Amino acid sequence: MQRVVIVGGGFSGINVANKIAMKTKRKDVSIILIEPREDTVYEPFYLYWSFRKDPLKKFHAPIRKVLKKGVQHIPATATKIDTKIKSVELSNGETILYDYLVIATGARMAEEKVGAYDKDNVHHFYLTQATAELQEALRNFNGGTVVISPSTVPYKCPPAPMEFAFMVDRYLRKRKIRDKSTIKFLYPLLRPYPEPRVAEKIQKLYDKRGIEFVEFFNFENVDKENNKIISLEGDEIEYDLLVLIPPHEGHKVIIEAGLGDREGFVPTDRFTLKVKDHDNIYAIGDCTNLPVSKSGAVSHFSAPTVAKNLILEMDGKEPTERYNGFTICFVVTSPRRSLLLFFSYAYPPKKFGLHNLFIYGLVKKAFKIVYFKAILKGYL
Amino acid sequence: MFMSDYNIAIEVDARGSFCPGPMMELIKAIRQAEVGEFLSLLSSEPGTRNDVPAWITKAKHDLVEVIYEDGYDRYIVKKLH
Repeated sequence: MQRVVIVGGGFSGINVANKIAMKTKRKDVSIILIEPREDTVYEPFYLYWSFRKDPLKKFHAPIRKVLKKGVQHIPATATKIDTKIKSVELSNGETILYDYLVIATGARMAEEKVGAYDKDNVHHFYLTQATAELQEALRNFNGGTVVISPSTVPYKCPPAPMEFAFMVDRYLRKRKIRDKSTIKFLYPLLRPYPEPRVAEKIQKLYDKRGIEFVEFFNFENVDKENNKIISLEGDEIEYDLLVLIPPHEGHKVIIEAGLGDREGFVPTDRFTLKVKDHDNIYAIGDCTNLPVSKSGAVSHFSAPTVAKNLILEMDGKEPTERYNGFTICFVVTSPRRSLLLFFSYAYPPKKFGLHNLFIYGLVKKAFKIVYFKAILKGYL
Repeated sequence: MFMSDYNIAIEVDARGSFCPGPMMELIKAIRQAEVGEFLSLLSSEPGTRNDVPAWITKAKHDLVEVIYEDGYDRYIVKKLH
């Protein structure tokens, strides 16, 4: 019997585990998923949850309920990976040997590197507790300047900060305090989105809604005393409420195992999804250094490649499956509007629909159900 | 001038990377470089021809030279502050 150990039980880890379980026999392959959390989170919901107090169960699900039979979940943290003896040490004291390893640890939110988050007026919406605090801050907000900015690139879901600006605009209008408020969206580039045609559409929508776009703002630090955010380019912008996307980096266990690049992301072959210089290790999702966005869609479209290549290898065959970088991206421009983008390694975003209510409906109403019932379980 | 005339401290090869890859790699390299050092950015992304000069102007560094190679451009940048 061969053993596949998957480190990290977010969307990528669960999805790959389930896909392998569906295509192999339990007598042939042991699949172990190492993840300290008991719940899995539908992270795209954070954007909406910032503005409304839905119960956690609306976007959390117990991991045991989404795992296929044949996948063993160990609720512990991987503390050490030894690639020479092919083992993973766990926070519960166990050491597990593997034949094949899948790294799916995601990106770590390095909040401490900003050193400015508090319960008052510097927030983000990339973790459950942080989003709960942002909810509270938005409820207490009674007018002023809302500033939204990434802190570093790359970060998960590239359009999310830009979407947040649209959402906060609508929220403040609903509360009838939009006229007492300014919304500023700061971005490292010359335009509010990397792709020029998309950026042009977004700029038009920003102009229509009175959202101020600040170009070439590469975050440097926060001056908490004077409520200012400062850029590498030397600009200073005052805020009453700052929504700052936290720096993303690789997890300590990856860095200490010598499996990370200078930011702790795993150097991964963009086509086979094998970890560079390690024949029996694959990586998937936000922990990789793939030249595509960090998003659930990338994990979804690349998971079949990891699963198929692993199964081929376990059958003694060459891992011939290739991921071509294809992914999609929904850009929410209001609770009822969206854009749909297509990307791959071979081409930048080439198709998009604007203000497509069908897509909105698909994303907003149906997608969360499909996510928990089918995608996470490996059926799609 | 020739490439060899510059003492390049950091070279960033962003060929094959779409926007914003080359720009962001340059910005990372600028953060790492010392004042007065030269950097070289290699990009095959056409948008870089517009974005890099605009950012260099905004950030008040020096775009010393753009060398048009076969299938890509080489941007020589000096960090000024």
